[in-house]
Amino acid sequence: MPRHPHEISVVGAATRVTGRISGNGVLRIEGMVKGDVNLNGDAEIAEGGSVEGNLHGESLDIGGSLLGDARAQSAIAVRSGAQVRGELRAAQVSIEAGARVSVRLETEFELDFGTAQRRR
Amino acid sequence: MAGTVIGEGLTIEGDISGDEEIVIHGILRGRLTTTDAVTVGGTAVVGADITGASLSVAGQVTGDVTASERVDIQAGGKLVGDIKAARFTIADGASFKGNVDMEV
Amino acid sequence: MAESSVIGAGTVVSGHVRGQGSLEILGRVEGDVNVTGNVVIGPAGRVRGNVSGAQLTIAGQVQGDLRGTHAVLLEAGARVAGDISGPRVGIAPGALARGHITTDGEPTPALARSAAHAPAPARPAAPVPSAARPAARLAPPAPPIAPPPAARLAPPARPLPAPPPKLEAKAPPVAPKAPPQLQPQPQPQPQPQPQPQPRKAEASRAAPDATEAPRNRSPVELEFTPVRPIKPEPRRPPPPVVPVISKGTKAKKKKSHD
Repeated sequence: MPRHPHEISVVGAATRVTGRISGNGVLRIEGMVKGDVNLNGDAEIAEGGSVEGNLHGESLDIGGSLLGDARAQSAIAVRSGAQVRGELRAAQVSIEAGARVSVRLETEFELDFGTAQRRR
Repeated sequence: MAGTVIGEGLTIEGDISGDEEIVIHGILRGRLTTTDAVTVGGTAVVGADITGASLSVAGQVTGDVTASERVDIQAGGKLVGDIKAARFTIADGASFKGNVDMEV
Repeated sequence: MAESSVIGAGTVVSGHVRGQGSLEILGRVEGDVNVTGNVVIGPAGRVRGNVSGAQLTIAGQVQGDLRGTHAVLLEAGARVAGDISGPRVGIAPGALARGHITTDGEPTPALARSAAHAPAPARPAAPVPSAARPAARLAPPAPPIAPPPAARLAPPARPLPAPPPKLEAKAPPVAPKAPPQLQPQPQPQPQPQPQPQPRKAEASRAAPDATEAPRNRSPVELEFTPVRPIKPEPRRPPPPVVPVISKGTKAKKKKSHD
């Protein structure tokens, strides 16, 4: 039976997973996950959801609580209601004002200070 | 719609516990406990003891299952383990190996 | 009344920028920025140093720590290499940041270090209500904006700040004169500058690089102090205000003051 390769998985709000989650697909976490999440797809921690462990995905959307390191292939977005503590590593990390964070960003980029401009 | 859905591409190694419906299309190795209905889809491979209000198996389950209401093994489904439930059905084409305890 | 200042796009400030009011940086600052008001760094703005203020809005590039007592906001195009802290921190999509980001309000050790030398020049009256918050949160290090109350009451008692290259080290010897320094002087005296301690617009003479910005509109305390003193000068009494004029000398305007 052909199935959508990226059907959305959900850890419901009244569900707790203690262990590792891995594989392909998109995952939305509304409940609680204690363990590492390692996906080949996008992962979202919904507001009210929480992950205690490391979170790897294609892109990460964090609206709930994350205690652990997060790594994304593309972008990490931390929403205003989120609470994050750990290291965030991605090509692009955005944080909405209002989020409570204590994180280390390891974004790769160069500063471009150029040459000092002389006053004209 | 189910509260928790584990899609076909997902693998969970550990325990799942909850107070809502759980639908599994992927792989689970560990334990599954809920107060609501459990559905094991056709592509699922579950190596775990399952406890729920009811259980419907269309995929593969290896482990003991306990349901407060009923256990149904669908055609194409396979259960290796003991059943403890008030009611159960094993469909034509389903596969089952284990004991059944219908104690109310 | 807090004034606002601008460091123009073609300006380079080599030295620390400190004072009341808000500041818009469209050019370059090689030194720390420490104001009580808001700081806006334009897309072409570049700061190599720590920045602290009430609300920091960054669209340019900073190599240093950012501390906002209200908020720190990075807009698309911003690049920040350093730690960021404040009760609200926003990093827009398209902004790049690398370092520790904290919304707990605790400063990072680097900020505390550069703030340690913030001497008496802050107003004796409590500047902004938020100043009390940093003081409460920051137990050992001095808050970036307002010095601890003890220091405000006894400026001369403040120990000489450690980092010698920073000219603020000169502040304590001048501390007894601090009160006159604090009051806005609409007409800065036409004194030559033996002391390395510059005052307001006079800083343009001590630090040739810091030119355009202070001149336009900072009657209130925006001091530009060079990072490295030309030479450590001994304290000298100020020269007489009125030089001796011999008979027949034509009046000459040496410099124009705003």
